[in-house]
Amino acid sequence: MMASDLSPVRHNYNWSRIGWMSFAVIVLSSAFIGFVFLSRYQANSETLGVWAAICRGLGISADTAAAASPQPPVRTPTDLAWTQATLEQIRAGDPQRGSFVALNCTACHEGSAANPSHLIPTLDGMEAEVIFKQLADYRSGKRSWGVMNAIAKAISAQDSADVAAHFAGRKGQLQVNLGLRIPEGGRAFRQTDVGARLVFAGDPQRGIAPCSSCHGPGGYRIGAPTLSGQHTAYIERQVAAFAQGIRHNDIYEQMRAIARQLTPEEISAVAAFYGSQRRELAASN
Amino acid sequence: MLGAWQMLMRSPLPAPLDDPNAYYASVTLHGTAMAYVVTTFFAMGFGYAVAATSLGRPIRGAPAAWIGFAICLIGTLMAVAAVLSGRASVLYTFYPPLLGSAWYYCGAFLLVGGSMIWVVLMIINMAAWKRDNPGKPVPLAMFAITATALLWAWAASGVELEMIGVILPQVFGLTIEMDAGLARMLFSVTLHAIVYFWLMPAYIAFYTLVPQAAGGRLYSDTMGRVTFIMFLLFSVPVGIHHLFADPEIGIGFKFAQSFLTFLVALPTLLTVFSICASLEIAGRHRGGRGLLGWIPALPWNEPLILAVGLSLIMLGLGGGGGLINMAYGMNSMIHNTAWIPAHFHLIFGGAVVIMYFAIAYEMWPRITSKPLRSKRLARWQLWLWFIGMMVMTIPWHITGLMGQPRRVAIFDFSDPLLAPMVPLAILSVVGGFFLLLSAILFITVLVRSQFGDAVLQAPLRYALAVNPPVRVPKALNGFALWNAILLMFMMVEYGYPIGQFFALKSSVPVYEMTRQSTSAGVR
Repeated sequence: MMASDLSPVRHNYNWSRIGWMSFAVIVLSSAFIGFVFLSRYQANSETLGVWAAICRGLGISADTAAAASPQPPVRTPTDLAWTQATLEQIRAGDPQRGSFVALNCTACHEGSAANPSHLIPTLDGMEAEVIFKQLADYRSGKRSWGVMNAIAKAISAQDSADVAAHFAGRKGQLQVNLGLRIPEGGRAFRQTDVGARLVFAGDPQRGIAPCSSCHGPGGYRIGAPTLSGQHTAYIERQVAAFAQGIRHNDIYEQMRAIARQLTPEEISAVAAFYGSQRRELAASN
Repeated sequence: MLGAWQMLMRSPLPAPLDDPNAYYASVTLHGTAMAYVVTTFFAMGFGYAVAATSLGRPIRGAPAAWIGFAICLIGTLMAVAAVLSGRASVLYTFYPPLLGSAWYYCGAFLLVGGSMIWVVLMIINMAAWKRDNPGKPVPLAMFAITATALLWAWAASGVELEMIGVILPQVFGLTIEMDAGLARMLFSVTLHAIVYFWLMPAYIAFYTLVPQAAGGRLYSDTMGRVTFIMFLLFSVPVGIHHLFADPEIGIGFKFAQSFLTFLVALPTLLTVFSICASLEIAGRHRGGRGLLGWIPALPWNEPLILAVGLSLIMLGLGGGGGLINMAYGMNSMIHNTAWIPAHFHLIFGGAVVIMYFAIAYEMWPRITSKPLRSKRLARWQLWLWFIGMMVMTIPWHITGLMGQPRRVAIFDFSDPLLAPMVPLAILSVVGGFFLLLSAILFITVLVRSQFGDAVLQAPLRYALAVNPPVRVPKALNGFALWNAILLMFMMVEYGYPIGQFFALKSSVPVYEMTRQSTSAGVR
C-alpha cells in the first residue's frame, strides 16, 4: 500500500498558514540574499555598505561622484539627438515660410550653372530630418564644407525646420523611399554588378551592411538620406570624405566604418548605381 | 514548414528564398502561429473538453465560447495578414522599439482578449459545479484546467497592459517615442508564464490520462493539486529572469526573481516523481517484477504511454538547460545565443507538443467516433518527432555555446570563427526536416482515421487516484487563497520594477518596420 494517501486523507493542515508563511519566507530570504548580500559585492570595486547595496539592488546608483581617473575629452560626432523635442520641432516646420528661407539655397542646390559637376546635392524630396540635422551640424561645426557653415550660422533652428519642410515637400529627381521595393534577385550575393550587390546585399564578410537597409530603396532609418537619384559625384565625394575622416558627423561612426572598407572602385560603383536611380521628372513640379 | 525553411536559411546550405526580410517575416509568423495561435486554440479546446468530460455535464455558456472562438479567429487572421504583407516583422515578442503594422498588434490583442472569455467560462463552470455539489472535491482534471485558465489570465495581463499602455498609443500616433524598457518589463510578466500555460495541458494529461491509459492509478491526487497550485504561484512573478541583460532593472530584483524561478523546479520534480510512481503502479499491476521490471511491462504500444516516455526524456534535458537559463550567473554565457531557441524548441516543441499529439490521438477519436486506423503509424510519428527534435536541438544548443547569436538571418560560415559550426548547423537542418515529416504524418494519421468507419467509442475516463479523495480541504478545492498570495507576490516582485519607469524617462524613438519589403531574391 502507498503510505501517504491512506483514505480518508488526513488534510488537517492549515493551508492558509502554510501558504502565507511560505510566501513570507521566500520573499524575505530572496530579498535578503539579493539586496543585502549579493548587491554588496562588485567585480572590480570595493564592497558596498548595506544602504548602498540596497540602492544598487533597486537599480539606483549611490555613487554619483565623478570617477577618479582623468577622462579623455568626449568627442561627439553631432550635437543633435532624435529626441521627441527634436522630432516635434522638425515636424512643426512651415514649408510656406521655408520657401522664403530657401532663397538662400537655390542658387547652388538647383541651378546647374553654379553646380556643373554635381558636387552639390539635390535637395528636392530629401527627408526633413536629414536636412535639419545637416544644418545643425554645419551650424555647430560638426560638419565643414565650403560656405555651408556660414549659411547655417546665419539661419535659426526654426528657419532650418521650415526650409527642411520646404524641400521635403518638393518633388525632384530623388526617389522617395516610401513603398519602394527591392528588385527581383536584389539581395543575391553573387550578382555581377558590384554597385547593386553592395547596395542590396552588402558584404557580410567585411562587416558591410547593405546601403539600402538605411538609404533605401526598401529600407529606412531616421537621419539617413534617400540616395536614389542623388548626384553620382556628390555621393562619391561624401563616401570618400567619410573614409578619410574628413567628414565625421555620423553618430556611432557607422558611415566611417563602412566607407573605410570600400575600395575606390566600389565607391564609384555604389555612387553610380544610386545616381542612375533617378525619378522621371516629366510630370512633376 | 516555415520553421524548416528558417533552419535551411540560417544554415550553410542553399535555401530557396534567400532574403533576410522574408526570414524575419517568417520567424514572426512561425512564432506567432506556434506560440499564440496553436497553443491558445489548443488550450481552449482541451479546456472545454476536460470541463465537459470531467464534470460529466455540458459546458455552461457555450454561445459565449463560440463568440470567444470567433474573436480569436478574427484576431489570428488580422495578425497573419499583417505579417504576410511584410509590415510586421517584429517577431512574436514584439521587441519594442521596433514598430510594426497596427493590424498585427490589434490581431494579437484580439486573440489574447478573446481567450479571456474561455478563462471566465472555466471559472464559471468550476464554480457552478461546486455550488451544485457542495463538499465534494472538484475532479483533479477540472481543478487543473481552471488553474491553467487562471495562470493564463495572470500571464496575459502583462502583454495586454503593454499593448494598451505602450504599443497601441504609439501605433495610433498618440506618442512619438516608446518606452522600450517599460514595454519589455510588462512583457516579461507574460513571457515566462505563457510557457507554463503551454505546458499545463501536457501536465494535465500526465496526471489524469496517462495512469488510466497505462492501466493503473494516479499515485496521489493531493500531490496533483499541490503541483498545479505551485505552478500558478511560481510561473508569473519570475519573468525578470528573461531580462538579466536589461540595464533598467536593479540586480536585487534580478536575483529575487531568479530565486523564485528555481522554485518552479519543485512542481516539475513532484510531477516526475508522481508520474513515475503512477506508471510503476501500473507496471507492477501488469506483472512487472524486480527493481526495473515494471518499465518493460508498460503498454508501450499505446501512443499516450510512448509519448510520456519520450516527453519525460526531453523534459529532463530541456529542464536542465532551463536551470542554466534562469541562473543569474550562468545566464550571461548563453544570453541571446542560439542556445535559447534550441532550449525552447526542445522543451515546448519537444516535451509539450509531443503530448499535444498524444492528447489529440486520445481525444479526437472520441469526439468524432472514428478510431485511429493505425496506432503503428501514430507511434512512428511520435518517434520521428522525438528523433527530429533531438537531432535538431542538441547541435543547436552546442552552436549557441560556441557563441552563435540568435535572431540572425545570414551567417558567413567561411569565417574561421564560424567554420566549426558548419556540421552542427547542417545536422540541425536534418532534424528540422524530420520534424516537418512528422508533422505531415500527424495530419495524415488523423485524416486517414477520419475517412474510416464510425465506431462507438468508450467515453474518456480520467485516472482514479490510489486513494480517491473523499473530502478535500477548501484551500485545495479552490483558488481564492492562492490568488491572494499570487497578488502579493506580484506586488512585491513587480511593483517597484514597473513603478520605477514613471520616474526613469527611458523613452526612445521607434524603429518602424512597416516600410520593409520582401523580395523573391534567388541565390
